[in-house]
This record gives sequence, structure tokens and C-alpha cells, in this order.
Amino acid sequence: MRFVDEFRDPELGRVLAGEILGAVEPGRHYKVMEVCGGHTHSIYKYGVDDLLPTNVELVHGPGCPVCVIPMGRVDDAIAMAHEPGVIFTCFGDMMRVPGSHGTLTDASAEGADVRMVYSPLDALRIAKENPDRDVVFFAIGFETTAPSTALTLKRAKAEGVPNFLCFCNHVTIVPPLRALLESPDLRLDGFIGPGHVSTVVGARPLEFIPADHGKPVVVSGFEPVDILQSVLMILRQLQEGRCEVENQYKRVVPYEGNLAALKVMGEVFELRPHFEWRGLGFISHSGLKLSEAYADLDAERRYTIPNVRIADPKACQCGEVLKGVIKPFECKVFGTACTPERPIGTCMVSSEGACAAYYNYGRFAREREVV
Amino acid sequence: MTSCHCITCSDEGTPMTVLRIDAERALALCESEDGARASVEIALVEPVTDGDRLLVHAGTALVHL
Repeated sequence: MRFVDEFRDPELGRVLAGEILGAVEPGRHYKVMEVCGGHTHSIYKYGVDDLLPTNVELVHGPGCPVCVIPMGRVDDAIAMAHEPGVIFTCFGDMMRVPGSHGTLTDASAEGADVRMVYSPLDALRIAKENPDRDVVFFAIGFETTAPSTALTLKRAKAEGVPNFLCFCNHVTIVPPLRALLESPDLRLDGFIGPGHVSTVVGARPLEFIPADHGKPVVVSGFEPVDILQSVLMILRQLQEGRCEVENQYKRVVPYEGNLAALKVMGEVFELRPHFEWRGLGFISHSGLKLSEAYADLDAERRYTIPNVRIADPKACQCGEVLKGVIKPFECKVFGTACTPERPIGTCMVSSEGACAAYYNYGRFAREREVV
Repeated sequence: MTSCHCITCSDEGTPMTVLRIDAERALALCESEDGARASVEIALVEPVTDGDRLLVHAGTALVHL
């Protein structure tokens, strides 16, 4: 398959692994954070970290949109799902993310009408088919899914579908990166930048990382060769004393992003003053809500929601995992009380979550051979 | 793009090929590499023609491949 087979070529992977070995300084420990959950998933699916020298450590970032949803917002979603007449729609495994009193699947079992959709367009179709009922779409995700929600809201307005409502939980990638970089307990040498978020926002918003924090960033594709090449590009920057944003994923990511997507997001959304992230707490200007022009389609204005902040379960260490402070297997409940079948924390629910990636690909401890 | 995209949030791009365009509704019938078909928003990547390959997130094409 074009653009896929080349980037899964084992021989090319070995060559890059050799070059990486040549680019590291012996005795120095490198910590590189991959921001995006898609990268985490690829790294463990293809065993990319096994090809790296032991002094190059990959740290997983907060880039899985399900993992960062706080429990309180899940409770709000469940409360909406229980409103009389509501059809509540959400992406697949959001149904399994635990709130403080169960999941959306539990709500469904208790009689709420909760339906899984693959896109907001599916939810809009359900709204058109059920004009006498409110259809609430649980919008989550970074700038990759936000344009999709924005376009669907525009479509709902243009086509006159007043019963399509949005419970907006979209978040933006830059504020949590800023928060992580300002966190005193984290030392990082560089970032593997998000691939598909950058198709929308471009690479320019990441320029503050080298400019203000002196860390290299390489926007990366998702195939194993992409990730190895990105690690090499970061190490080369460190070796040569450079510090900039580079784009390894030029075949997909334009440096300026998708201006049409940014425009439609600007029309439909505005920034919340602050938004809570699981494990990271409240981060200023990190969440999106519907703008005044779309207030009539805002589920939060139509329904009264509990809006209560719920502390994460004590046993769960998703917060530390999301900040890259601990590895998933270092969490007390990993693989025992918390599994993909019965998750306690969000990182175990989503297939892009670091804990699920470790669990599904058999990483129960750090056992790596020296390359 | 990994072939196994996240079912949780659809927040991983699926490469799809345009089969037919519905210009009136600004949608395109697209097919993924595993044969799954879906209506996709194409407003952000226009102009689009039959046979184009698009990267699709949550039912919306974000970029030409």
C-alpha cells in the first residue's frame, strides 16, 4: 500500500535504529515525549521502543482525548442521557468511561437511550429522523475532531435541525503542553509532535516549545519508520545544538495547517476561561464551548447539569501516566484491578491510552534488551 | 496512519478514496482501504474529484493525501 508499506519497512527501521545509536551521547539519558495517543499505540504495536538504545526513553503525553476527560464531565453526560426524551450519542468507547456512579453503558441499561455513532454527521441524521426528541452529541477530541463537530453544527443550523444539540468537550493541544513544560517534576529533552492535530492547526503553534522552553519538536507520522525518523531528528537537533520545529510528516501536514478548518472552528467555538483535565487539573483557555451564535444548539444551556468536580479514584494514577511521570506498569492497579475489560482509569479504556497500549501489547514491565 | 484506528474517539485519521461526490450536500461517498464506505464532509478540502485520497477524521476530510 502506497505511503504505508515504505513506512513499515523493517530494513529501513534497522538502518534508522543504527543511526539513532550513532546520534546518542553515551552516558546521557534522553527523555522524549510523544504527545499523541496515536503515536503511543503505534510504538507498542510495532515494538518501536525495542529498537531504541536503552538511554533513549519514550514518555507518553496527554494526547488521548478520551483519557483526559474528567469524571465530572462523564457524570454530566450521564445526567443528560437520563433527561426525558433525550437520545444521547457518543463515540464508541466513551460509553465505557467510568463516571462517579457508572458509565454511559450503565445508563443505557437503566433505560437511557444512548447510541454509538462514528461521526457527528451520524448524530445529525438521528436528529432528523427523530424531530420530536432532542439528540445530544457528546463532542470530544482535540483539533482533529473539533472541525467535524463545527461543520455539523453549521449544517444543523443551515438545514434547520433545532433538536440537534452539542455537549462540547473539545480541547486544544497547546495549553496542556505549556502546562506540562511548566511542571517542575518533568524533565524532557524533546517532543514528538502530534501528526493529525497539526494537519488542522499546522506546526506554527508548536514554535513556543523551542522558543520559550528550548526543546526540539518534530511533527511525526504514525508508522514505525516515521517515529524512528522523528526520534533521530530530535537527537540530531540535540547533537548539533539546534532547537526548532521540524516536520517529518510533510506528506500529510502543511506547516500552516488547514485554514478553512480553523475558520469554521473560529465561527462555531470560543475558548472557555478554563477546563478541567484528568490528572492535570484546570488549565486556562484549554477547552472549547459553543459561541453565542450557536447557543441554541448548546446542550449545556438547554439542560441543567450537575457540573460537579469529582476527584479521580485514589487507586488510579492516570494523572501521573498522562504527565509521563510514571509508566503504566508502575501504577498500583495496572493489569490487576484495572484492565481494558474493567477499567478504573481512562488510560485503560481507550485503545490510544498508554495503559491500554501497554496492556494489549504485553508490556507489564520494562524489560528491554540493549540494541 | 495505523490500520487499526481508535474506535473510542475516531481520533485517528483513516485514509479514504472518493467514489462519488454529492455537490449539493457537500458530502462525498468514500471508501476506506478495508472496504468500509461512509459519507464524508469535504468542505475543508475542496475542490475534490472522484478517486482523490483523503485523510478523514470523525467523518470529515482534513487533508488530501
